[in-house]
Amino acid sequence: MARIGVFVCWCGSNIAETVDSEGVGEYAAKLPGVAVSMDYKYTCSDPGQKMIIEAIREHKLTGVVVASCSPRMHETTFRRTVAGVGLNPYLLEMANIREHCSWVHHDKEAGTEKAKILVRMMVEKVKHNHKLYPIKVPVTNRALVIGGGIAGIQAALDIAKEGHEVIIVEKQPSVGGHMSQLDETFPTLDCSQCILTPRMVEIIQDKNIKLYAYSEVESVSGFIGNFKVKIRRKSRYLKESECTGCSDCEEPCPVELKNEFNEGLDTRKAIYRPFTQAVPNSFLIEKTKEPAPCKVVCPIGQNVQGYVALMSKGKFKEALKVVRETNPFPSVCGRVCTHVCETACNRSRIDEPISIASLKRVLGDFEAANPELITYAKPEETKSEKVAVVGAGPAGLVCAYDLAKAGYKVKVFESTPVAGGMLYLGIPEYRLTRDVIAREVKAIQDMGVEIELNSPVDDAQELLKKGYKAVFLGIGCQKGKDLGIEGEDAEGSTDAVAFLKKVNLGETTKVDGNVIVVGGGNSAIDAARSALRLGAKQVKIVYRRSKKEMPADPREVEDAEKEGVSIEFLSNPTKVITENGRITEVECLRMELGEPDGSGRRRPVPVKGSEFIIKSDLLIRAVSQAMEQDFDKSENIKLSRWKTVDVDPLTLATSVDGIFAGGDGVNGPETVVRAMEDGYIAAESIKRFLTSRDLKEGRNFPAHKVTEEPAERLFEGVEKASRVKIPEISIEDRNNFKEVASVLSDEDAIKEAKRCLNCGICSECGECGKACEKDLIDHNMEDEIVEEDVGAIVVATGYDLMDPSVYEEYGYKKYPDVLTSLEFERMVSASGPTNGKLIRPSDGQTPKNVVFVQCVGSRDEDKGYPYCSGICCMYTAKHTMLFKHKVPDGKAFVFYVDVRASGNNY
Amino acid sequence: MKKWEPKITAFLCNWCSYAGADLAGTSRFEYPTNIRIIRLPCSGKVDPLFIVKAFENGSDGVLVSGCHPGDCHYTSGNYHARRKFAMFRKLIEFYGIDIKRIQFSWVSAAEGGKWAEVATQVTEDIRKLGPYEPFKKEAVVQGCSVHPMNNEKGILN
Repeated sequence: MARIGVFVCWCGSNIAETVDSEGVGEYAAKLPGVAVSMDYKYTCSDPGQKMIIEAIREHKLTGVVVASCSPRMHETTFRRTVAGVGLNPYLLEMANIREHCSWVHHDKEAGTEKAKILVRMMVEKVKHNHKLYPIKVPVTNRALVIGGGIAGIQAALDIAKEGHEVIIVEKQPSVGGHMSQLDETFPTLDCSQCILTPRMVEIIQDKNIKLYAYSEVESVSGFIGNFKVKIRRKSRYLKESECTGCSDCEEPCPVELKNEFNEGLDTRKAIYRPFTQAVPNSFLIEKTKEPAPCKVVCPIGQNVQGYVALMSKGKFKEALKVVRETNPFPSVCGRVCTHVCETACNRSRIDEPISIASLKRVLGDFEAANPELITYAKPEETKSEKVAVVGAGPAGLVCAYDLAKAGYKVKVFESTPVAGGMLYLGIPEYRLTRDVIAREVKAIQDMGVEIELNSPVDDAQELLKKGYKAVFLGIGCQKGKDLGIEGEDAEGSTDAVAFLKKVNLGETTKVDGNVIVVGGGNSAIDAARSALRLGAKQVKIVYRRSKKEMPADPREVEDAEKEGVSIEFLSNPTKVITENGRITEVECLRMELGEPDGSGRRRPVPVKGSEFIIKSDLLIRAVSQAMEQDFDKSENIKLSRWKTVDVDPLTLATSVDGIFAGGDGVNGPETVVRAMEDGYIAAESIKRFLTSRDLKEGRNFPAHKVTEEPAERLFEGVEKASRVKIPEISIEDRNNFKEVASVLSDEDAIKEAKRCLNCGICSECGECGKACEKDLIDHNMEDEIVEEDVGAIVVATGYDLMDPSVYEEYGYKKYPDVLTSLEFERMVSASGPTNGKLIRPSDGQTPKNVVFVQCVGSRDEDKGYPYCSGICCMYTAKHTMLFKHKVPDGKAFVFYVDVRASGNNY
Repeated sequence: MKKWEPKITAFLCNWCSYAGADLAGTSRFEYPTNIRIIRLPCSGKVDPLFIVKAFENGSDGVLVSGCHPGDCHYTSGNYHARRKFAMFRKLIEFYGIDIKRIQFSWVSAAEGGKWAEVATQVTEDIRKLGPYEPFKKEAVVQGCSVHPMNNEKGILN
């Protein structure tokens, strides 16, 4: 049975004026469960509390109701009172008859009635109350401070001083925040760095403080007292704790970027330290997640940005080494690569792509001119296993080169009398001179690769029986396809592959009369231009679509036309007319473009009755190539439905164990670099095969697709500069096989390389790694996620500068002499880009009149700034003083809306 | 027989609205005596059953008041209250309770004046709607000739 005590307070006259406290007390005494009811003038006073204590003792109360002021006022007081005599404090309730009754009503009768009800409510409530006991929850005795600016630093130091552990997370590579950028502080004009840097150092020295610089909080979970915090430690690509900040790595880095610390007024390297007093005093490398697009799209993953960046500094030897790392054919690729890298180049968003291929050619020629500078990679070890490669084309030679590099004994079997495959047999000399091929093939031989010419292989499996542990088939597509029209097997009709092969081997040295070439690819152009050089009277290309759909390199098409090759677009041969078994004329039909086909190009449709005749002494068919199946007498190697070798696309393994294939023989007629890619893929598979490792594990099908959008800042402030012109010999001088395009001068090459935007930020050229004596650089380092337990979190994330370029009227970014406050601050700072000299960026002169515009963006909701920072007036007052110190005879004008800076009445 | 007076139960959160009602007192803003405040930790604590029970036990109207959106002492309790109310509005209506007799408001600890206005307004609104009996327990109805809450057989027994 409940035994409730009710104590009604008068609160002097505060309650008693409107509520008859005595009457309420009497009323309460009669309520069921109420053991005792009293009223008193000031219940919260000592005698009042004593009254309650005695009543609890005397009446053995099980609950107490105090009818007085708001529980928000005295609940704690009375709880303590009842707890003092052993009553659970949660068995006390307060009826608020002051704030909610006497003070808001004037009618004493109604007020008293309401007070009675409020008391009755509480009496009923307290009957339902349970004893409650506080629980103890362990609290993690550590704090997290987010942000390492001066506020965060001070917070961390203060907490640490109290003896608690502190974790401080700063997203920038150094603590210090914006204060480290300031020259002097307002109003005493103390040196900002002098105040700040001792505190920054304290952060490192204090044993209670753990600093995560260049890190960001990923997530916070848990509750007050027990938070779990996930922190991403962004990779510096070098070991932070061991870096001594010697800065040896900085100078050799070829990549220059806008220096954020100096607000973009000067540059920094891709490996950098934000400022000399940085804490931690460690360098870092800035890099995008994905390499630059030029590298991503390159089938052989050439580190394009790497060698271009090095070339921009004139470091050709180092650049060549970067190329050579993944390419044994720098000179060949510099001349004939289809350079998908240039198509992907972000520079074309500003003007034109970097002329990457011609830069690579410079390196190739540099290599030829300075053979003593180059030390080819020698095999690290020698292995006993022998590997056979069939075909000395780009796929086969790259495969052989890569295997030889790994120490395997490789023998290449080549059916023709020359090495180089289609490089030699398919590409005419005026595009790729024979000495270039010979030189680069020789470098491969120098690695230990044996090449046996005039040695056709008719049964690849036989090689396995002869002791070769693995075989790579790089057999190419040696057969020209037929047109499928009447008379095409007549005398005077040939295909481009056969024609070019004869020309390139010196078997055909002269061409007479009218030549027709059918097709629109690079082979067609090569055949046409070769025929013209060999004395043909007239060369005509017949192509069934229009110029836009032509698969040949547009530069090649343009050159062919310049040299005198005429092209019949939208035409298709239908019949070869012969006389005595010899070709005399070709009948063609006009075409028009219909619906797009599977390749996305519009399908040519014949126009009825549009037949026309072209005189012809030689017909060259250049309409695709096919593989010749003469390497597999036993016919055990499975072919695809396109009659090419069927392989696993990831490993290039054929249906026969130990035999791998790649290049044109698998892909059909493709580019040189694509064949080279297969050479590398197959070499990796063969290495795994020979060491009994899984062929597929950890390998991905190379997508060569760019997924990361370039950062805006790459394009900021870049001035247009046109792409370098590749020098070519005159049209008159092209009646021979002299090389048409010549190499860029070193100066042009450096100028061109400087156009590179450095999309990947760090170019991974490796120069810093060579310079670091402690060998701390690790390009494969990954972000690390650490988890920390903390009890409390201080957020001190600071501010971002408003970008004033949203106000076009101020001309910021349009006129070089319009600066932001922080840019001005950096300029007057002794550690700034001008060493403290105040200059006008446009002409380097000292400005005599400076206008300070305040309140830019203040309370402008349209631009998304509804507030006034309340600081700029103070800040500008300081700037005017700094200006007068630097330029005593100068004049400062301040324009403002109003002065609102608060603080110590400054 | 005394004149009929509406009885209104108000569920107030401890941190904003209850403190706002305290401030109304400290500021001596007057309002009618009809409101009975029940203090809850948060408006998110309000169960729709509380509302039903309030009507069963003799209320003519119910008011729920909490912190302004974004100001909840528990970060999001008032959002829970709002969402709960939006959902249960239909159910309460289906149950047959006159939705006009339930009001919701945001009163902060600094809005003593607003609390007095809300309390006055709600009292007037409910007074206009008249006594509400369909849900009252029989015992309450029988004894409620004047003030059901003030009756020995009333809700608090």
